[in-house]
Amino acid sequence: MNNASIRVRLTLWYGSALALILLLFAVALYLVMSRALREQVDASLDEASAVAIRTLGEHRFGPFLIFEDLSQDFPEIALLDKFFQIFGPAGQVTIQSSHIQSRKIPLSQTAFRAALEGRSTFESVKFKKGVPLRLYSVPIRQGEQLVNILRVGTSLQPTDRMLQRLLTGLYIASPLALLVSLLGGWFLAGRALRPVHAITQAARRIAAGDWSQRIQIPHSNDEIGQLASTFNDMIGRLEVSFKQIRQFSADASHELRTPLTITKGETELALRRPRSAEDYRIVLESNLEEIDRMSRIVDELLFLSRADLGEIKLKMLPVQLDDLVREIHQQAVVLGKERHIQTVLNMVDPVIIQGDDLRLRELLLNLVDNAVKYSQEGQTVELALVVVGKQAKIVVQDHGIGIASENHTRVFDRFYRTDEARVHAAKGTGLGLAICKWIVDVHHGTIELHSTVHGGSCFTVFLPMTSVNAS
Amino acid sequence: MRILVVEDEPKVASFIRRALEEESYAVDVCADGASGLDWAQMVNYDLIILDLMLPGLPGVEVLKRARLAGVKAPVMILTARSEVDQRVKGLDAGADDYLTKPFAIEELLARARALLRRAGGAPTGILQVDDVVLNPVTREVTRDGQRVELTTKEYAFLEYLMRNTGRVLTRSMIAEHVWDLDFDTFTNVIDVYISYLRNKIDKGREHSLIHTIRGSGYMMRVDE
Repeated sequence: MNNASIRVRLTLWYGSALALILLLFAVALYLVMSRALREQVDASLDEASAVAIRTLGEHRFGPFLIFEDLSQDFPEIALLDKFFQIFGPAGQVTIQSSHIQSRKIPLSQTAFRAALEGRSTFESVKFKKGVPLRLYSVPIRQGEQLVNILRVGTSLQPTDRMLQRLLTGLYIASPLALLVSLLGGWFLAGRALRPVHAITQAARRIAAGDWSQRIQIPHSNDEIGQLASTFNDMIGRLEVSFKQIRQFSADASHELRTPLTITKGETELALRRPRSAEDYRIVLESNLEEIDRMSRIVDELLFLSRADLGEIKLKMLPVQLDDLVREIHQQAVVLGKERHIQTVLNMVDPVIIQGDDLRLRELLLNLVDNAVKYSQEGQTVELALVVVGKQAKIVVQDHGIGIASENHTRVFDRFYRTDEARVHAAKGTGLGLAICKWIVDVHHGTIELHSTVHGGSCFTVFLPMTSVNAS
Repeated sequence: MRILVVEDEPKVASFIRRALEEESYAVDVCADGASGLDWAQMVNYDLIILDLMLPGLPGVEVLKRARLAGVKAPVMILTARSEVDQRVKGLDAGADDYLTKPFAIEELLARARALLRRAGGAPTGILQVDDVVLNPVTREVTRDGQRVELTTKEYAFLEYLMRNTGRVLTRSMIAEHVWDLDFDTFTNVIDVYISYLRNKIDKGREHSLIHTIRGSGYMMRVDE
């Protein structure tokens, strides 16, 4: 049963319930029918006996007159296959209807005793030979004295036959009805489950790697329709994140491949023959540089994947942003020293925002580091912090190689690096701006880029303020 | 043998160049697709090593255009291991071999030798002219079973001569195949190296193998 399909189970449940209902119905119908027929017979016996007694009373035991009188008064009674018997006070037959003359139907003990006590009795009897009978025995009394017992009888054969026919009808009709409704149930269950089948097929194809699969949503907004559209939504979201993950891992492996190629190549080359200590030193330095690059990529990847999983704990405290900008400026001056890149601190408004000091520092350092990295020797980087409405606006402007406008949105993507950036600064990981974007996002801010090729880049960060320090 | 390396990652290009130079090949390096295409058409290279992930003009495009322009040199492409379709596209565009990054330097050199051998029509790779035998794998040269010690440049020159036995090689052909772009054509470096080689190969032998063809260049040949 556990292995059977829902369709089979539904049909079986439905069939069992229907069979039970049919059975109960048939039993009830039979009982009601047989009772009604019996009551009908009994009523007609009662009626016939009342007429007989009245007639008897009028004629003072004129036995031969009974039937003629009855026939005269109620011609239909004569047709009703009834017979009459009159027993003496000792229970012996004194008179009975002519058409049962040949038969002996004695008074039963029960009926006789009841008659002595003055009660009427209904009995059903069946003799070895002959039809089943329904008998009604009525005591006729004068005062306390039992004078006679009148019995009216009739054959139960017509009612039995009718019940038999009913039973036969039920025997044939019930299984037929059950069969028809089982077929209907099977069909309906199949129809109801068809979208489920479609969902299964689609899910199977998706499992086989075809992410473009969608379920055709039935027009109705019923349970199945909702299931289908929920399923489609889910697949859509899975497809997006699956593609992202695939892209991400492809990018990650590509970024790691270059330093690996270099360290492997340099090391193998060095080992081909004996070299001078200076040559070895150069190889080791190069390898160290590449190992640093790989560990930076791995660190940043780890940071981003932890950020994706919501595992980075933020300590949101009031941060004096202007102090932070001044500190970053000092670091930028050091970063630019070697290539004579000056960092100029423009306007700095006093601002306090709610944020994580460590992450904000990382954000600004990343932006300033980029600005220095992509500047040409001798150029200037500008840094500013101003209040605009209820937001703190941080501007990091350089005059370096710039970014073509079609790449503006993509620079925040993980591992995305423009060709110019690759040529200009080989050491970048392509993850810095993705991390910046994440930090800005968790502070409910926005980051914008204005840049043209060779016209320098300007990164603007807006962060919502909690309060302005007026002093 | 002169080889062009088109590779944008400077450190990768650098060690490939040094490895090839140690094997006495003349090597030129380009960092982007467009200039790689220019050089491939300008100089008659013996082998081109082409990275497919290039800024600007993609590697496959460089290859297609070079083949269209009639560049016949064997081409080895460098790709990432995962990028099967890139390799397929590269091979279909006219590449002769591929190598996936990160690669073993010995494999790069062996594949380079194999491609040069195939282009030169010598199936075993071992070159022989009379009793001079040159093995490109061990870079050993013997004459009459006796080992001849050569410098890198001398070896490269001899190999070029031996690969083209019976053919006249002009000074500019020699300059193109044995030296790289830093070579100054107006010096007599080629004549100097010819005399070095003659000293080591032909000196004291009954018949010499390296001949001067007056007015055109040099040729290696067995005199009957």
